[in-house]
Amino acid sequence: MQGWFFVLILVLTAGALFYVGRSRAVSAVGGDSTLLHSKPGFHGAFVMICGIVPAVLVFFTWLLFSRYLTNAFVASQLGADFANLATIEQQALMRNMRSFANRTDLSALGAIEVNAVEAYRSFVANTALALQAVVAVLVIVGSWFAVRAISKDLRARQIVEKTVMVVLIAASGVAILTTLGIVLSLIFESIHFFQKVNFLDFLFGTHWSPQSAFEGVGEEATGRNSEVFGAIPVFAGTLLITAIAILVAAPIGLMSAIYLSDYASPKLRATAKPILEVLAGIPTVVYGFFAALTVAPFFRNTGEAVGISVSSESALAAGLVMGIMIIPFVSSLSDDVINAVPQSLRDGSAGLGATKSETIRRVILPAALPGIVSALMLAISRAIGETMIVVMAAGLSANMTVNPLEAVTTVTVQIVTLLVGDQEFDSAKTLAAFALGLVLFCVTLLLNVIALRVIQKYREQYD
Amino acid sequence: MATPDNEHIVTSYEDELTSLTRAISEMGGMVEVAITNATQALIRVDHELAKQTANGDKRVDDMQRLIDEQAVSMIARRQPMAGDLRHIVSAIHVANDLERIGDIAKNLSRRTLHIDSQRVSKQLYNGVRHMSDLSLQQVKRALDAFTARDSKIAIDVCRRDDEVDSLYISLFREFLTYMMEDPRNITDCTHLLFCAKNLERAGDHATNIAEAAYYLETGGNLYNDIESGKVSLG
Amino acid sequence: MSVDANLAATAAQAPADKAGKLKMSGNGVNVFYGDKQALFDVDLNIYKNQVISLIGPSGCGKSTFLRCLNRMNDTIDVCKVTGKIVLDEQDIYDKNIDVVELRARVGMVFQKPNPFPKSIYENVAYGPRIHGMTRSKDELDDLVTSSLRRAGLWEEVKDRLDQPGTGLSGGQQQRLCIARAIATQPEVLLMDEPCSALDPIATAIIEELIDELRANFTIVIVTHSMQQAARVSQKTAFFHLGKLIEEGPTDQIFTNPINKKTQDYITGRIG
Ligand SMILES: Nc1ncnc2c1ncn2[C@@H]1O[C@H](COP(=O)(O)OP(=O)(O)O)[C@@H](O)[C@H]1O
Ligand SMILES: [Mg+2]
Repeated sequence: MQGWFFVLILVLTAGALFYVGRSRAVSAVGGDSTLLHSKPGFHGAFVMICGIVPAVLVFFTWLLFSRYLTNAFVASQLGADFANLATIEQQALMRNMRSFANRTDLSALGAIEVNAVEAYRSFVANTALALQAVVAVLVIVGSWFAVRAISKDLRARQIVEKTVMVVLIAASGVAILTTLGIVLSLIFESIHFFQKVNFLDFLFGTHWSPQSAFEGVGEEATGRNSEVFGAIPVFAGTLLITAIAILVAAPIGLMSAIYLSDYASPKLRATAKPILEVLAGIPTVVYGFFAALTVAPFFRNTGEAVGISVSSESALAAGLVMGIMIIPFVSSLSDDVINAVPQSLRDGSAGLGATKSETIRRVILPAALPGIVSALMLAISRAIGETMIVVMAAGLSANMTVNPLEAVTTVTVQIVTLLVGDQEFDSAKTLAAFALGLVLFCVTLLLNVIALRVIQKYREQYD
Repeated sequence: MATPDNEHIVTSYEDELTSLTRAISEMGGMVEVAITNATQALIRVDHELAKQTANGDKRVDDMQRLIDEQAVSMIARRQPMAGDLRHIVSAIHVANDLERIGDIAKNLSRRTLHIDSQRVSKQLYNGVRHMSDLSLQQVKRALDAFTARDSKIAIDVCRRDDEVDSLYISLFREFLTYMMEDPRNITDCTHLLFCAKNLERAGDHATNIAEAAYYLETGGNLYNDIESGKVSLG
Repeated sequence: MSVDANLAATAAQAPADKAGKLKMSGNGVNVFYGDKQALFDVDLNIYKNQVISLIGPSGCGKSTFLRCLNRMNDTIDVCKVTGKIVLDEQDIYDKNIDVVELRARVGMVFQKPNPFPKSIYENVAYGPRIHGMTRSKDELDDLVTSSLRRAGLWEEVKDRLDQPGTGLSGGQQQRLCIARAIATQPEVLLMDEPCSALDPIATAIIEELIDELRANFTIVIVTHSMQQAARVSQKTAFFHLGKLIEEGPTDQIFTNPINKKTQDYITGRIG
């Protein structure tokens, strides 16, 4: 409730400041706004920025740090009583203090807790007042200076544009920092893991059975863990399934893209394309049970009929269904890039007597190659990251095999199984998930880099 | 048929074409006055007027240069086509012919200065005056044909050129008779004969102008068309 | 004077008469885009080893007519062509005609240079490869070289045949497209505003090229530049609102057009 109230006040203030700045600018030139260096709206925005931005910055800074300040204040109030507590007890005290702050009945609490709650209450009340006062003063002072600065020649436009740029930079900064944060946390956790398990053993080991990991420390644990955390079978499974998926999706997707873009009538294209895209919207769990309950048994029965043993959970079933799932990624994106190849190239080719399929093979596809490769890359990333279908259709056993009829497992599935369950958070088993994640991340990064290189090398630029 | 009665999309081009036509009319007016004055001076043996007329030819020359420059600049800048191209090219031709007619007026005036006013009998002048009237008429009509883009008038001017020619031949005989009658007439008659010849040349220039007018309107060559029977003078 | 004029007239018509063998002709050509009729009953003769230019305001159907001549309109679904178009006494809209072969015989160069995003060599070799015109690599090399030579591009590109054609300048690209078109050894070359994207020098080079190509090809060129039509062509046809208004020797069209619409168009008046 309070939050909404705050937002409402903020909006109203901003509107008012804008209005004040605007009218002030107009009156500064006696009503003839053409005399202003910047349009009145920029002056309004200028005053609004000067009034609101510092206040909001202070407010959010406070939000970030208030927790620590509060704790410090309460601790200082409690003095030695608090300092004598163990860390865990201190943390519990702070939690209780916050949860009891809104209750009137404090009879269930001990003396030190009551003291803490009271200190907390007074601190919050005072600081809230102070904060409101500071914010109000900032708004008033900021906008006052801004209003004073308004004149015929004030370059309000430049200032506003600068602010806009800063906001945009901040937005992209958030995205970049988040990525960086994720990568860093992956790296740190993985380092913990590699302290327990040898890096090379992990990377090149051919045996994966984390269930038999040895908890504890010492020579024995290291030796044992180096044997059970060999990531190769997992990655082999991922590659196998991804390869099957791409083998299914690339030709089908590409061909349907070619049909849609160059052969289908516009009307057919307008209906067929969205229908194909619906495939991408089906939840993967639905694909999963489709794979497990329909496709896999079908393969097993067919296999039996011709005398080949097919396990009931096979890489083939999972890869096939996954391939179907990523068809729309390939077809829709490829269709767009094929369509983006200029008509003039098609005309040029037809004008030389090439048939439609010759034109497509010799001119359109080479010209659209970079786009097609990135469509495939996107599909591959999607396939590598896919979990649900594999869990349901390919199984959990980490077999190192290239036989698509056997059960395999993938990186993502293993990450899920490692993290589900109640292990200690710093056990080798849990940390292995981070290591797997890190390697997966590196592999996809590498794939992307290679794809970019390929595109740069073979791209046929058409403008 | 191909009369460009539509306005040009580029107005300044249209203005330039109009100003070219106006310059031709103005030059035509100057030349007509010059011929009239020269004839007057000759008949009245007015040396003063003759001098004035002879000096006035410079303006006609300047005018021709101006029209040439205008036309060249238009060809360079506008790349005229079809009717416009013919307009500009024939303007150059017409200006050239007008300049020559101006020269003829100057020539007449110069001769006037050599004729002794006392001795010449008035009757000698009648034929020359008639000649002058007829040639002037031809020049005027040819210019009309040009400015109005009227091929009928142009054909008419060509037809009438024969009249000028026959008048000249009869004048030639007349002067010959006078000279045989009295050898003292020889000097003046020779002068007058040259004057008549000059006026006959003016008539020829008038037909040239008429031909240009015909080309301007039809794109054809008048004499070719007469020969091929497309146009009959009869 | 009249004799001179006669001489001039004969001189102007001389090439027209000498080369006077009929190469292509359209008879009562109507073209419809869906319900909209774009060409009305066009009759036009195209003579061997002549350049004929099609002029007219935008949207008057010049490109449409041009595209009828090698059946490029087939690629447009809604486009319907009636009437008769003949190439060497053969109806090109006949059922037995192979469009692929027709387009090899009637080549086309487009308004915007559209080299394929391939190497210069591959661009020129494209047509011969498709039509299987050469028996060996050497033969193909020779064909590519001679086509580039004839297009006046050889000297400029002989050291970089393996570089992309799209890296050339606009004028060079257009000459590459001409080389590409003549590599299939067509009999007729259709050019749709081939110089409209080029600077004056590149334009002059291409005009010179057209003049040289005339010895071996019959050329139909669409142009918006009156001067260009006047410079390169022996015959000119003026289209207006889908109708062929006037056609005749270029000299006559540009000095003394018969039709008032033609006159108004080429002198830049409101028609
Ligand atoms: N693909 C098309 N679909 C529908 N109408 C078209 C198409 N191409 C051309 N047209 C129409 O046909 C007419 C002639 O076009 P076009 O031949 O391209 O003119 P030009 O080349 O003379 O500028 C125009 O009115 C145009 O709108
Ligand atoms: Mg066109």
